[in-house]
Amino acid sequence: MLQDVQTGVSITGADIATAAKYLAAGFVMAIGSIGSAIGEGIVAAHALDGMARQPEMEGALMRTMVVGQAITESTGIYSLIVAIVLLFVM
Amino acid sequence: MLEHLGEKLILHVTIGSFSFSFDLLAIIMSWVVILLLVVLALLLRRGLRQRIEEKPSRVQAALDALMNVLKGQLTSNFASERLARTMFPFISTLFLFVLLCNWISVIPYFQSPTQDLNVTFSLALLVFVMSQVFAIRLKGGRKYLKGFIEPYPFMLPLNIVGEIAKPISHAFRLFGNIFGGAILITVISARLIPLVLPAGLNAFFGLFVGAIQAFVFAILAVAYINVAVES
Repeated sequence: MLQDVQTGVSITGADIATAAKYLAAGFVMAIGSIGSAIGEGIVAAHALDGMARQPEMEGALMRTMVVGQAITESTGIYSLIVAIVLLFVM
Repeated sequence: MLEHLGEKLILHVTIGSFSFSFDLLAIIMSWVVILLLVVLALLLRRGLRQRIEEKPSRVQAALDALMNVLKGQLTSNFASERLARTMFPFISTLFLFVLLCNWISVIPYFQSPTQDLNVTFSLALLVFVMSQVFAIRLKGGRKYLKGFIEPYPFMLPLNIVGEIAKPISHAFRLFGNIFGGAILITVISARLIPLVLPAGLNAFFGLFVGAIQAFVFAILAVAYINVAVES
């Protein structure tokens, strides 16, 4: 048990565990979303390249892009689920 | 205001030494969606009863257009025309069910059944069993089992894990997207800005993301069945 000298509030292990939980949830979302954001950006960039080169393929490219982005997003979604489990379940 | 966020209406039933827990809201909501689909189908079917020489009614023209879109966007990705025709009712039903499940959360006091992991997981398991059964039926048991030790026999555990990971990622993708959107809407409308903004959020997460995720769910089902049958 730690003792804060100025305020006299004692910090127990449970407080530290709660703080660690919130910190971990924040880090999970912050770090976990980097990868999927970069991935989705790459997908969109290449789809735009393709559309600029062949405007008649726009429909097919758009469909493939949306599906590809939704699949790329799943790693971000996994980190969201881990964050939700950290916050509400643990 | 946010205390109810993680709570669920759970029904506990004990039969003998087994105990079951049911999430009542998810069950009721999925039944609402099923009833909505059945009633819509029965209502729209009445517009179809006519001879072929007459010009099509408005309902028939609209349904033809819808069917063409579903056929062109979803089942045209199948390897063979025959498989596409066999799977079309299943895939389009799956798509319409998931779409309506995602969209129903736009109505106040209604909740998407797909924001419950059990619903999405059972749908993903349905697709998984379907793909395995079709693979065994079309390729034969020997060739199906041989597919697991290709390209090398030591790849067997990897192939098995890869096959099991499919329904898990399939289910978590839909669940995470819908649940994340629902949490965001609840938090913003309860804590931050309860005015105009939630309507826009509902339109984005309920209608736009819901439609895209339903489409992705159906097209991944097509891809999984196609891969299992083909390879």
